Amino acid sequence: MSQFLSRNRLIVLAYVAMVALLLITALFSPGFLSESNLRSTVVLAAFVGIVGLGQTFVIIGGGIDLSLPWVLNCAAIIMTLLANGQDVPLLWVAPLVLAGGAAIGLVNGIGVAAFGVPPIIMTLAANVILQGLILVYTGGSPTPSAPPLIQFLAVGRLGPLPVIAFIWAVLALIAWVLLSKAAFGRHLYALGTSAKVAEFSGVPTLRTTILTYTISGLTAALGGMLLTGYSGQAYLGMGDPYLFTSIAAVAIGGASILGGSGHYIGTIAGALVLTILGGLLPALNLSSGALLVVYGAVILLTVSLGSETVAGLGGLLLGRGRKRDGS
Amino acid sequence: MTAEQEIKPAPSLAPSSDWKARLFDRAPFLVACLMLLIIVAIYGSLQHGVFSLEELNLDTTATLTLLLAATGQTIVLIRGGIDLSIGGMVSLGTVIAATRFGGDPGSVLLWSGIILALGFGVGALNGLLISVLKLQPFLITLATWSILSGTALMILPTDGGQVPGFWSGFGSAEFLGLASPVWLLVALLAFWFWFRNTRLGISIQATGSNEKSAFLSGVSLTRINVITYGLSGLFAAAAALYLTTQTGAGSPTIGKDYILPSVAAAVIGGVSLFGGRGSLAGTVIGAFILTIIGNLVFVLHISSYWQPVASGAILLLAVLASSVAEKTSRGEE
Repeated sequence: MSQFLSRNRLIVLAYVAMVALLLITALFSPGFLSESNLRSTVVLAAFVGIVGLGQTFVIIGGGIDLSLPWVLNCAAIIMTLLANGQDVPLLWVAPLVLAGGAAIGLVNGIGVAAFGVPPIIMTLAANVILQGLILVYTGGSPTPSAPPLIQFLAVGRLGPLPVIAFIWAVLALIAWVLLSKAAFGRHLYALGTSAKVAEFSGVPTLRTTILTYTISGLTAALGGMLLTGYSGQAYLGMGDPYLFTSIAAVAIGGASILGGSGHYIGTIAGALVLTILGGLLPALNLSSGALLVVYGAVILLTVSLGSETVAGLGGLLLGRGRKRDGS
Repeated sequence: MTAEQEIKPAPSLAPSSDWKARLFDRAPFLVACLMLLIIVAIYGSLQHGVFSLEELNLDTTATLTLLLAATGQTIVLIRGGIDLSIGGMVSLGTVIAATRFGGDPGSVLLWSGIILALGFGVGALNGLLISVLKLQPFLITLATWSILSGTALMILPTDGGQVPGFWSGFGSAEFLGLASPVWLLVALLAFWFWFRNTRLGISIQATGSNEKSAFLSGVSLTRINVITYGLSGLFAAAAALYLTTQTGAGSPTIGKDYILPSVAAAVIGGVSLFGGRGSLAGTVIGAFILTIIGNLVFVLHISSYWQPVASGAILLLAVLASSVAEKTSRGEE
């Protein structure tokens, strides 16, 4: 138990921060802990969590995916256009859109792993290209409303719990199996720790890298489709907030942005922390601009906690060396 | 200080005495020049009066915001880093200008100075954080990008504000038949050819080429980072100021449209994404390529939404070419 705590110190911290934040928010706005409010917090956090799943994989592998906003946005627009407000077409539209998202991730992954394009450039370029293409495709006109089934999945309820919480839980389970039980997870951590060492020890680095970006494209597309159910329809720019939130959720969840550590369990807490923060700010009369400042500060703060300099400093202040941490 | 003089200004991967290696070094720049010539030729065959001073004035006026932002990015890229925060800095600069300038020239001058100082200060802070926390540049600048964009949104929630008339008349002022942006471009290039041969310029390039050996020969990495990212912030602020002369107003979201193009202009012009190689001359060519592609899209009556698609695709091609070249040159070593 104590070994688990020391090894996953940052993940535990993320959950402690979440509970603390929940209590603070409840102090400022007494209605916050009501059943309906908690439910809507979980729904909003689920979108960050689903989009952040792929980002977690990419970051553990030592990369980053900045193409999420427009992969999400394209998936949302294409799904609503093709389904045209009907459930039946989803039978072929949903797999098509998911495959499209995965395909974009695949291209990102191939660019990064096979051609050595830096991840930031590859995914930022993909983002801009997708933005242009979807604008060409739609001409900027609004889309039909989301099919009823998607709306049910996004905002519907099963008993006291939102439907999307079940989707999120299933995805979390898959992520946990992939990271903690499958060979893919071992390869991924090895890759993120040191690509060179991983390569020499026989880890299929090319395949593993490509797979992380493919997963990222897939979950972004899924998040985009579900998000239309929440907002009622797809609109341009709906994915933009998810660039910072997906990265911030992973960072809060304790993953080192340098790769090689972290877990989706942490990202879940990160997504909840960010969503509670987002609910706290309006209660304090703060604008959306302030939210961006907070996201930036949170990213800065959490990554500095993970940096060697601060860790070394913390060790010094606590009067113990880093060696004893592991025992 | 004496230790710094020992740095050899020959940071290329291959020995530069070899003419093949020198050609290899220059190849991306030469390809960019060729590309610009072809694009201008196509443009000239579709549109009358392309080969005129007036067209040069127009295109330079249109390119200069991107070029100023890309100048800072070029310096950072040569150092071997990247600066995403210019997206926030450009927005913040335009927003401060549009809300604080007023009509009085003295106040305009004062606030211009404040915006430029803020740009340098925020950039220097980026550099300091990168050094002290030993974290990747994109991560720190991603966080400051978010913080600066948020600050811009708090100052001015939607596009608006105003700059005085004499300020927005800057771009149309002419001297000897050349518009003021053309003179700024000349000044920028003059700055560059002076700067790259200063001890600082050489240190930045050496650090980007091989951080360890630059450090071992006495370069202070913290100082280099502070100055490099400071300059990037300064040029982003300058881009913001110039942008307000064009738009006459502030926009809290406009900056993000310059992040990728600023990298694209540099990389298309032969600046290496892996540090150590490149010149502002290449970035100028790259920026003009991007602008004239925009003109082509307009002349051909294609939807303007194709422009970012084309820019992104060209960037990826340029990056692919340079990373493949980088791989082969490393493999040969």
